[in-house]
Amino acid sequence: MRRVAIIGTGQTRHARCRDDASQPELVREAAAAALADAELRPADIDAVLLSNMELFEGRAFPELWAGEGAFACGKPCMKVATGGTSGTSACIAAFHQVASGLFDTALVVGFEKHSEGHTQTGMALTDPFWDRAVASGALGNFALSISEYMTERGVTERQAALVAVKARTNAARNPHAHLKSPEVTVEEVLASRMLAHPVRLFDMCPQSDGACAMVVASEECARRACSRPAWVKATATRHEQPYLGDIDRRLCAMRTLRDASRAVYAAAGIIDPLAELDVAEIYEPVTYAELAWYEALGFCEDGGAGRLIEDGVTSMDGALPVNPSGGVLSTNPVGASGVIRVAEAALQIHGRGGARQVDGARLALATGYGVYAWADAVVLGAEP
Amino acid sequence: MIREGSIHIPFTYAAGRAASRFLVVLRDEGRILGSPCPACRRVLCPARSFCPRCGEETGEPVVVDPAGTVVSFTETAAGVFGLVRPDGADTAMLHRLLPAGAKWTIGARVRARLLPERTGSITDIEGFEPLEATEDHA
Ligand SMILES: [Zn+2]
Repeated sequence: MRRVAIIGTGQTRHARCRDDASQPELVREAAAAALADAELRPADIDAVLLSNMELFEGRAFPELWAGEGAFACGKPCMKVATGGTSGTSACIAAFHQVASGLFDTALVVGFEKHSEGHTQTGMALTDPFWDRAVASGALGNFALSISEYMTERGVTERQAALVAVKARTNAARNPHAHLKSPEVTVEEVLASRMLAHPVRLFDMCPQSDGACAMVVASEECARRACSRPAWVKATATRHEQPYLGDIDRRLCAMRTLRDASRAVYAAAGIIDPLAELDVAEIYEPVTYAELAWYEALGFCEDGGAGRLIEDGVTSMDGALPVNPSGGVLSTNPVGASGVIRVAEAALQIHGRGGARQVDGARLALATGYGVYAWADAVVLGAEP
Repeated sequence: MIREGSIHIPFTYAAGRAASRFLVVLRDEGRILGSPCPACRRVLCPARSFCPRCGEETGEPVVVDPAGTVVSFTETAAGVFGLVRPDGADTAMLHRLLPAGAKWTIGARVRARLLPERTGSITDIEGFEPLEATEDHA
């Protein structure tokens, strides 16, 4: 297997509604930005990978529409669909394609235009026999698991609110972010509308319109084209049994993320992730999930996540800044959200994070998460 | 056990920059717009904001002729559907050929027939009819 690096990233402005652009125009905006960042032209790209939740926009074969915006015409192009992890899975698929020697360069583009479809309709089309008649979508699934997590680990609503404040204040330094609130307070989060106990409005991610792209290159191409490539050091993906009643899907266990992170740490030689990682971009659809992921990812012992957020360990000036971008809590075009995690981690290694740059970031973690508890983990580094 | 049902999927699609121009000009002026690609020099019709083949952003839209040539066609139970390349364009548009009972041939000359009341939809063009028929009317 060859070494692989990310040599350019690009994002659109993310917003509740981007009706100034069609789907292919939105995709092209991100794809062109990534190519410009890598100083490459469309002809330099060998293969294209797309990520999108097709049912959310009610369009069959969305790749036919979006593909032309991703410069896919005349190239091998495929869509990766694994729910919420689609974006991270598409990145991992591109890494594999380039690592295998099949292609020297690949362009990954994830996008979603929630404003154009009906997300709840898409979410409701789950298992037809057990879930459809009784499920309440992503929010309800989270709420069920969160109540148990709070009870077992002693996590408080205030600790979750601190995650929301961190996300929205970080997002204020990210020019692409959807929800930005530099002044938001814990009290405002705790006073926001209850959606499904104990989850409040400010605890949840938004639904955004947006796209994100990245250029993946072989070692030879990366060294030629990029002064500071973000090297792919390790990747792992884990799927889980899909039925909600199957107990290992709980936030408390989150076996998939636990296993995936241990696999990438071992492959990248990471023993103490909190001490060794410089930055993490994790897929946190709800504040409580970020706390649960701290534990699953080994940033602290089980039950230690509340303390971690209270002590500011994961804030921008803490030991391990988590989601300098503002995370999924601030920007969530689902098909793009996983690509954004990996792109933001790469951006930190590239040293092009602007106001959200973590000084001297050399080792970064990105994760993906899907509502069926599927998980992806990627470690990027300044050294191969 | 078998479970049956159906799905209703609402949608609201933004046409984007060039397609919005195309639909507005079709509605308000009854004219058909194409977009020139600066790289391959083709005029793409309907208008679009970038060339799918080259990836380049297209230039200012140009008016193409309502008259054109049938590139291909098929007769179905629902009517005759054809690919029509308007004069001044390098690509073809998919649309109905009218009337369905006519004797169609590849290479036939046709002209767009527009609805008098238009809403900004591709169906503001009712279809393409033989050029002779429209000349007879004129
Ligand atoms: Zn062209």
